[in-house]
Amino acid sequence: MRSPPIPARTIQETVLATQGRPGWVHSILILVAAAAAALGGWCWSLQIRYGMGLSGLNRPVAWAVYITNFVFWVGIAHSGTLISAVLFLLRARFRTAIYRVAEAMTVFGVMTAGLFPIIHLGRPWFCYWLFPYPNQRHLWVNFRSPLVWDVFAVSTYFIVSAIFLVVGIVPDAAALRDATRGMRRRFYAAFALGWRGTDEEWRHYSRAYLYFAAFATPLVFSVHSVVSWDFAVSILPGWHSTIFPPYFVAGAIFSGVAMVVTLLVPLRRALHLEDLITTRHLDLASRVVLLTSLMVTYSYAIEWVLALRGPPGLERSILIYRATGDYAPLFWVMAVCNCLIPLALFSRRIRTAPWVLLAVCLLVNVGMWLERFVIIVTSEAHDRIPFDWRTYRPQPVEYGITLGALGWFFFWFLIFV
Amino acid sequence: MPSETGVLGVFADPAGAACAVRALRTAGHDDVRAEAPAPYPELIEALGRPRSRLDGVVLGAAAIGTLAGFALCIGTSIAWPLLTGGKPIASVPPFVIIAFELSVLVGALVNLTALLVLAARARRRRRVPHDERFTADRVGVFVAGGDAARAEAILREAGAEEVRRVP
Repeated sequence: MRSPPIPARTIQETVLATQGRPGWVHSILILVAAAAAALGGWCWSLQIRYGMGLSGLNRPVAWAVYITNFVFWVGIAHSGTLISAVLFLLRARFRTAIYRVAEAMTVFGVMTAGLFPIIHLGRPWFCYWLFPYPNQRHLWVNFRSPLVWDVFAVSTYFIVSAIFLVVGIVPDAAALRDATRGMRRRFYAAFALGWRGTDEEWRHYSRAYLYFAAFATPLVFSVHSVVSWDFAVSILPGWHSTIFPPYFVAGAIFSGVAMVVTLLVPLRRALHLEDLITTRHLDLASRVVLLTSLMVTYSYAIEWVLALRGPPGLERSILIYRATGDYAPLFWVMAVCNCLIPLALFSRRIRTAPWVLLAVCLLVNVGMWLERFVIIVTSEAHDRIPFDWRTYRPQPVEYGITLGALGWFFFWFLIFV
Repeated sequence: MPSETGVLGVFADPAGAACAVRALRTAGHDDVRAEAPAPYPELIEALGRPRSRLDGVVLGAAAIGTLAGFALCIGTSIAWPLLTGGKPIASVPPFVIIAFELSVLVGALVNLTALLVLAARARRRRRVPHDERFTADRVGVFVAGGDAARAEAILREAGAEEVRRVP
């Protein structure tokens, strides 16, 4: 049921109340996140100093936890633009309570994802080679390679998402500027960019916002499609599949919206925003999680149907290996977290019980991280040549860098809130 | 910049502000402006402003981005040919991806620049006496020039909480 509209003054006062000094719990969380990020940085420094041999990467598994993290965090970043742009164009009004958090999550998610292709490089100081630039040897990047498509897609996504977030903040920053004094007023004035709210400003702003949404909407679908082509354009069994783009996009929205709910439930409690971010908003967001879970389940099923209907071969072999081989426990945890547990969201009682919803969404994120790991690692570990098969195990630096990425993301997010 | 003379009405209800704007325009006041915390559709409609000129600029920029994307891919492929299995050097299908990304990137950057320029110019040219309530929960309707007494009467009649002459 829709709750009655809240007066603008009450909304402003509630939001202003969240802008005070951070409490001790908030400060400790920021320190913990910073410590985790520092641990990740230290692990990376070890890897740079002693070489990639410190990681578990070796022939034939050359892509593993780092690329899993890259795909996971790009996926997390998807919900922000989905909620901002796609739901804006569809006039879904429930987005207004949650879109700022989702947009911020997008920007910090891409900032985290963008680290991994660089961490994954043996010589990260040459990462600028990924971009085309005139040089004395007249060399250019190969635009037929999906890895270069990725560079363009992820960079564009980061820039457009950051612009979307900053432009969206302008009128809110102006409201905070006018409601505060001293240093804080100057801080908010910097983000308000002189905004006053005149009808002429709104005239241009509304049009520009529509264009940002129109640009960002195809971008949402293109970025994860391009990420999926990193795999699908190769000829490795388990990767070379035409269903990868829609499958990856659905998975990205699934994990992204689940992450939004994961962040919103504790946030609304900690900042006393229960009247602004109501259980109805959580209910509607969790319906998106349920819908995308069904799409992901359908994609899993289609992979099996295609492999089993065709002649016995590598595709069938790799899928059977996923379900019964070295990584079978991860595969089954993934299937339970992504396909079975979200079915609980058919119950309205669960959709409107914030802490149960939080548990479901946390499990979805565990499942989605495992999904990327299973897809990436099993196909390489069990490729075309049996003598080349090898079981990959992540090493301490990889765990440290993965934890560091989590810390890096939460550090920025906690500073933002 | 010297401040303009006129009458400012403060409204709690955007619908009341929209009624006032309509009445003022019907009464012959040509220069009616507003300041509000959100783009209330009824208020924007009552003011009857033309559509923003962003369209041509942004769509043009996106088209330039598309062409730049193709030019970059085709030009660099010819400058540094990678011959693989008899495939064409300038193979257009994969280049569509780069062209798309650049059209979005250039379009978005030009959209941002055009918004900043147009909004700053609009703020300078069509000022409304600023009140901190106008970014919170009140709508300001400003009538520049014209018959001030008549404008005051119309604003009060439409339900303005407060009406004052500026400066």
